[in-house]
Amino acid sequence: MMNSTNNALEVITLVESKYNVVKTEHISKYQVAFEVIREDIHSMLNFLKNSGWKQLSYLSAIDWPEEDKMELVYIVFNWDKGVHIQIRSKIDRENPEMDSILPIFPGCKYYEREAHEFFGIVFHGNPDSMKQLILEGWDDIPPLRKDFDPRAYSEAHFPQREYTETFIELNQQESKQEKRAARQAHIDEVRKGGKK
Amino acid sequence: MKSTKFSELSQEQVDRKWWEIGDFFRRNSLWMLMYCTGCCAIELPPAMTSAYDMERLGMGPMATPRQADILLVSGYLSLKTLRRLIYTYEQMSEPKYVVGLGSCTINGGIYHDSHAVINQLDQYVPVDVYVAGCMPNTEAVMNGFVDLMDAIKHKTANGWKKYRDNYDWYRQNQIASLGEVEVHDEFHE
Repeated sequence: MMNSTNNALEVITLVESKYNVVKTEHISKYQVAFEVIREDIHSMLNFLKNSGWKQLSYLSAIDWPEEDKMELVYIVFNWDKGVHIQIRSKIDRENPEMDSILPIFPGCKYYEREAHEFFGIVFHGNPDSMKQLILEGWDDIPPLRKDFDPRAYSEAHFPQREYTETFIELNQQESKQEKRAARQAHIDEVRKGGKK
Repeated sequence: MKSTKFSELSQEQVDRKWWEIGDFFRRNSLWMLMYCTGCCAIELPPAMTSAYDMERLGMGPMATPRQADILLVSGYLSLKTLRRLIYTYEQMSEPKYVVGLGSCTINGGIYHDSHAVINQLDQYVPVDVYVAGCMPNTEAVMNGFVDLMDAIKHKTANGWKKYRDNYDWYRQNQIASLGEVEVHDEFHE
């Protein structure tokens, strides 16, 4: 039985010896995260694929409006060692662009289309990346960016039901506390048979 | 022996009588097309199986829109689903009824501020019966169906007539929210 803790540590030493990693996180014994510069991503994914991380589990993005950055996240998985590796890299937020990893992982095709639709990232080299996938006929900024206001969009596009009557008026109800106390006092009195 | 006297009925009255007879059979054999997009669909298995046994009301599931009487919308509808729902509704043969389950179809429910989910179903297709709740329990669902049967009996389930008469208004709302009702994607073209 292989020891997964050692697997994760092995990965860290393997990757750090070969690449200039900005930040390493040992999240759990099955998960390791590396933050790298965007130029390293392709060679790193290629290297990891050849080392056994054959499956691209997920590709998505995180929006950081305070830093004015968009963070790409690639997650690869090794079926023999059971270790997930996250590779993260920050790219420009205003014109988010990235070269597609289609030659390395062909399965990224739909993830990149999704990332383009929800974050507006352009993937060069993926012929389908500009096609619509989930949203049909979207006419606003990509909806998962933090500066998108879903409530305003909903109010502008979908009719809201208007209520002419307030159905719940708990605040204006008269208090039942006094009546309840009086009733309880009466019950107590009856129970004791009028004795103090 | 005298024969029974029948008063002469106008054509309109005769039509109404036949329509009432039709309604009697229709409301006792409602077939549903279940558009289970939302979580309220989880209330349908107990309603259909032996716990509440919907079939004793003459209701049953139906596979295609053209054979169904009820379009059952269970829960929230995203824009993408609404396009397909309108396709489905327009394929159904008249008379057709719509039942909306859950608060999502009434006012958006917990998805009231979502960019992808519509708030009011009756702006796009006419709804005959709403069952409120998030999610409504199975008794409420069954009660909603009985209400629909009563509405058919009393000729108040007129959603399909409203859709036909006010088609332009519904179409306008559909276009205002959806942009275009026709589906354009790589699987349809």
